[in-house]
Amino acid sequence: MPNPPLVIENLSFRYRDRQETAIRNISFEAQPGEVLLIAGASGCGKTTLIRCINGLIPRSYKGEMTGSVRVFGEDTSTWKLAQISQKIGTVLQDPERQILGTKVLNEVAFGLENLGLPRDEILERVDEALRLLKIFHLRERETFTLSGGEKQKVALAGVLAMRPSILLLDEPLASLDPASALDALDTARFLADQGMTILMVEHRVEDVLRIQPERVMFMSGGEIRYLGSLSGLSKVVNYREVKLRAEEIVERARQDPPPAEIRILPGAAGKGESEALVKFEDVAFGYESDVEVLHGINLEIRRGDVIAVLGPNGAGKTTFVKHAIGLLKPKRGRVLVNGRDTRESSVAQIASTLGYVFQSPSHMLFAPTVREELSFGPKNLRHSEEQIEQEVKEALRIVNLSDKEQDPPLALSFGQQKRVSIAAILAMQSRILVMDEPTAGQDYQNYMNFMDSILQLPSFEAILFITHDVDLAVIYANRVLIVNDGRLIADGKPQDVLRDFDQLKANRLVPTSLLALNLEHFPATGRFMKAEALAHI
Amino acid sequence: MLIPWRYRKRENSFIQSFDPRAWLIFYICFLFSALAFWDMRFLLPFFAAALFVLFTSGVKWHEIRRAFLFIVGFVFFFAMLTFLTGRGGVEHYTEEHLIHRFQASFSILGWVPTLDITVERVVYALSQFLRVGSMAIMTILIPYSLNPALYGITFKGLGLNDKFAYAMDLTMRFIPTFARDFQLTVDAQRARGYELEKFSGGLIEQVRKMGPIFVPVVIHAIIGSEDIIDAMDLRAFGVGPRTWIDVLERKQRDRILIGFGVALLVLSLALGIFGYGGFWVPETFLRLAGG
Repeated sequence: MPNPPLVIENLSFRYRDRQETAIRNISFEAQPGEVLLIAGASGCGKTTLIRCINGLIPRSYKGEMTGSVRVFGEDTSTWKLAQISQKIGTVLQDPERQILGTKVLNEVAFGLENLGLPRDEILERVDEALRLLKIFHLRERETFTLSGGEKQKVALAGVLAMRPSILLLDEPLASLDPASALDALDTARFLADQGMTILMVEHRVEDVLRIQPERVMFMSGGEIRYLGSLSGLSKVVNYREVKLRAEEIVERARQDPPPAEIRILPGAAGKGESEALVKFEDVAFGYESDVEVLHGINLEIRRGDVIAVLGPNGAGKTTFVKHAIGLLKPKRGRVLVNGRDTRESSVAQIASTLGYVFQSPSHMLFAPTVREELSFGPKNLRHSEEQIEQEVKEALRIVNLSDKEQDPPLALSFGQQKRVSIAAILAMQSRILVMDEPTAGQDYQNYMNFMDSILQLPSFEAILFITHDVDLAVIYANRVLIVNDGRLIADGKPQDVLRDFDQLKANRLVPTSLLALNLEHFPATGRFMKAEALAHI
Repeated sequence: MLIPWRYRKRENSFIQSFDPRAWLIFYICFLFSALAFWDMRFLLPFFAAALFVLFTSGVKWHEIRRAFLFIVGFVFFFAMLTFLTGRGGVEHYTEEHLIHRFQASFSILGWVPTLDITVERVVYALSQFLRVGSMAIMTILIPYSLNPALYGITFKGLGLNDKFAYAMDLTMRFIPTFARDFQLTVDAQRARGYELEKFSGGLIEQVRKMGPIFVPVVIHAIIGSEDIIDAMDLRAFGVGPRTWIDVLERKQRDRILIGFGVALLVLSLALGIFGYGGFWVPETFLRLAGG
């Protein structure tokens, strides 16, 4: 019987600068034609496992490694990285950082050029990889012109051109809109059906289940907690840790007490109807003078609104939101914040009303301590020392980081950094919170807890968030906007906007099992809710 | 997000009609040749040549407007600064011919603010504008005209080793991404009420106040570079001599351009050595001062 493509035996690893072991006693085999889904919370050891398999550990990341990785029966510990890369291909989480070439052809050829293959062979293999992924038409395109999904495929083509037998995909769906994510999954299934072995690390378990992975591995605390068929997964793991299909969650959650009711925006309750906090009037904008990217946006944000902004990559969502804080000024029309035209206000003046949390905390954190980080905004807004003292303490209490006041923010975990970035806005006493992809980079349990706590903060009167996750809109929003091609395609209650599946598909959104279940129960519930809550209807 | 580079393939572009290696060699010769002179009679042909390259580059005004105005403004500002202060040109002339003196009607602690307009200062400012302007125009056209996909093979073709040549290629690829990250950080801090335009205090204080921008940009670059290094390692970068799939072809016109550039440099250096091309004040200007 031939050797399996990949055999891992008793694999353990500890990073040189850390005390605890990152992974412990990992053993499994992977077969040709198999998709093995690897799931687990952030920090459970998934990425370390991938690095051990692709050889970055111990070659680039030093530490103590025991056990073995065998590829077609051969121990890879003595192999050079170049040798491993011809058997095991890796597509990293962010294709943006993986794409090194300015042109698709150069990008796909990169690995083969490094191996010093003859030019004709390189071109032949590049064309073969591009054809396999059905992206030959992109061959001469510059990489910056590619959409998120196309970038992902080009990065994959660059790996496939090296003709690996095993493919490691590290969170391939993280930066993709739902339709592009489905496309990427279909590609993975196709490659597995051609005989390739695929190991896919992914938080979005429910999405991956669509392509029926042969097996699922669930990791926790650096160990394998479950390895087996799909059907067994939902019985073993906590439905709060892994995003399962809504029906499965309902099934499991019936045995548990109902979840606590979320009191959304308690700060806005009881204040009654208000004038629009933010008003867009026929707003048009273009980065270049002759190209318009936002076209005639009309919209009002009122007290009590929790708005989810959905739409494909590059639809103009961030450009639209940047107008609200005055970072961009409209070329036509106007944006009013508190009744005042953003053209007549500085960003600092608007910031006291509207706080904007960027996608990545690393774009803003700089101070030596959390306390100083949080006092930065209020200081800029000329708050008094006593006021700042109070605001910082209150913000830390709300995001549950009071014990981290003197810690350096950059030394905190990603989730904690995200909370610091929210607290930095809270400390400025902004009344409206705007978040760009608030759940990016966090695992399911972390981001659900994060959203639960943000929505219940007493300080905000309205919240707006940009997301690719339709379920976030289902669970948390009371108003949904769909933006595509710089236009506001839809604006309404979630039950009205998300009911139109044709419209969702036209805007590269994919209906989820939770959405379908909520629509089914809507006559009885009268609103959308979490699957755990639906279990008790 | 990958960010667009300024390069486009342009119809009938003079600069793009050459092999990038040939153009870079010519460009370097041009820069060093221009640096050899302070005489306006010598600098004018350089400035004219730079304008010729600009107008035949095929780069549209709307593409280059912002960068161009910035560079011209920058050059103009420094030329004016040396003109107004009279500093900078003193190593080239010892005597000044006064055209006009502006004197304030008040004094500050006994010092009367005075601005002397002298022939030498005017000529020096003009020479500086021509010299730096011609170099700036030639430099600014490079990102608009040379294909970034060919930077690696261009530097390889200029004799650099694979690793260094690819590092140049990679730098060019990531400069726009770095600029994007920088802008994101500026936006994120402005959204926290940070106002770059309201900086005050001494130099050290101003540098300290740039911390909220510099720290996140550097940290982000370090985090990002880890992924880039992984991506390169995982595709066998640096394991041995690499093949470059892009092929550059040197034609007759490229050889002529290189020959012309080298000849220009040799001639300029020779003129400099023999004492030609130094600071020169036209007679007509001296007459303005009645000298």
